Amino acid sequence: MNNPQYRQRAIQYREELSDDYFILWIWDEALGAAGRPGQFYEIRALASLKNADNVNKIPKLFKPVSIYDNQGGRIGFMIKRVGEGTNALSKLRTGDMLELIGPAGNGFPIYRGKRILLLSGGIGYPPLWYLQKELINHNQVYWMHGGARQGDVFPCDEIWTEDGSIGKTGRVCDGVAEIIQKSEIDIVYSCGPLPMLSAASKIISDLGVEHYTSLEAYMACGIGVCHGCAVPIGTKDNWDYLRVCKEGPVFRAEEVRWELF
Amino acid sequence: MGAVLSDIWKKTPNASDLLKTRLGKLELKTPLTVASGTFDLENLEFFDEACLGAFVCKTITRDPKKGNPPPRLYETEAGLINSIGLQNPGLDIFINEKLPQYRERLHVPLIVSFSGSSIGEFESMLVQLESCSGISGYEINISCPNVENEGIAFGVCPDVVYDLVSRLSSQTNRELCVKLSPNVTDISQIAQAVESGGADSLALINSVWGMAIDYQSGKSQVKKGIAGYTGIGIKPIALALTYKAAQKVDIPILAMGGIYNWQDALEFIWAGASAVALGTANFVNPLAAPELIMGLGEYLLQTDQKISDIIGKVSF
Repeated sequence: MNNPQYRQRAIQYREELSDDYFILWIWDEALGAAGRPGQFYEIRALASLKNADNVNKIPKLFKPVSIYDNQGGRIGFMIKRVGEGTNALSKLRTGDMLELIGPAGNGFPIYRGKRILLLSGGIGYPPLWYLQKELINHNQVYWMHGGARQGDVFPCDEIWTEDGSIGKTGRVCDGVAEIIQKSEIDIVYSCGPLPMLSAASKIISDLGVEHYTSLEAYMACGIGVCHGCAVPIGTKDNWDYLRVCKEGPVFRAEEVRWELF
Repeated sequence: MGAVLSDIWKKTPNASDLLKTRLGKLELKTPLTVASGTFDLENLEFFDEACLGAFVCKTITRDPKKGNPPPRLYETEAGLINSIGLQNPGLDIFINEKLPQYRERLHVPLIVSFSGSSIGEFESMLVQLESCSGISGYEINISCPNVENEGIAFGVCPDVVYDLVSRLSSQTNRELCVKLSPNVTDISQIAQAVESGGADSLALINSVWGMAIDYQSGKSQVKKGIAGYTGIGIKPIALALTYKAAQKVDIPILAMGGIYNWQDALEFIWAGASAVALGTANFVNPLAAPELIMGLGEYLLQTDQKISDIIGKVSF
């Protein structure tokens, strides 16, 4: 299964996390076997054009959602309600149908015997959950996560909130340099909002540490066809627009031309 | 998803005859193609290509094109805004890397879409493509709204269009289809220039100029501001322009713009289209193509009509 597949699958279980966050679990052994940490699916509540009474109801684009968990065919999508698409997903219940295109994208490179820092902000948390499960037995892993408030943070080693409602007060990037130096980190994996990733990238590259970051982008096709999700990747003098859905979503942070966004 | 298509022929065993159509020099097994830039081999993971009458690739240019800065997309209340900027690897890489994949994978006619920044460049690209096997026809893109000096510069002036098309048509025996922009004063003048120049067919419409702004911040939703608008919102515009062009030319029309299903396809065929293409619909419904052909086949069978009975027969 090299290219993303299209499937319709029932939601096996819906898990409530908070007012804004929930997890949709599906079951598919073949898709599960094909998935890797850092990959994503384009997902949507099933919309059918087959019913002639319904011809004028045109569905919206799929939404790219990273794989939160993937074990033995049990695939989880942790979702934050932010806009129209995720709001529609939030209304789905156990037994409702989901449309999926995936698994898509490149995924994180997996190492062994390293000291690893995971760095996430807000809804950047889910892909790192799947990643840490793959890393934890063969590496030393430390996970820092930040959010605006208590409702935006999830289990990890070090929590930051901007309003100070739980954990350390401030932005998660504020603590990165100290941890990298103290724990002699070899590799950083990050996912979160663009300003956070850009700031983290500067700090981490100044310390000379390898850094892989997972980017988010508005997408239409999700399979590399439309070039709508392209981001500038390469060196300062020689870069190209690469597709988040195909060459990404994971890029070497030093190759992301943050200044061009 | 191969089962989806075998279901079509099972349900409508005689539909294959009813669905045949002609686009200039090409005999198409179905009247359905795909809009350039919205569909590629990746989509054929989802269904059997046999529901397509032809395959149109993403527009290529002579030199590689980086494309426009992000964000490039925004979904409006009725359709999509895009500002891709014809990002492509250029003609040489297309010929050496992409074309062999198409030759190996595709069993339906391949129509290569290309665009140039001068008549000479269009001509030299055509000459280079003429030496390649596995190509059934060309879509001459003179209508991309997202690049300044390419394509669209040609699409707005009938004299230039005539000059370009006559130079190209004299150098190929393959299908020559010219893709028109809706962003012109009178599309029928451009259509007539294309026909007089010797093209075999017309494709219309390319994206309509569109824009979207965040009402709170005042920031444009795509980086370049003015972009291409496609999808459901442009269907009435595309339908009117198809009808308008069909009134003035005899060459067949490949129509597109907001087509999502078989009912939409029939509207365009009534208006004068000989074939139709799915564009934005490919993004919102991965099975749009097989569903369209299945629906159209069943309808033609039930009503005892052929595509050729319907083309341009709109009544008032």
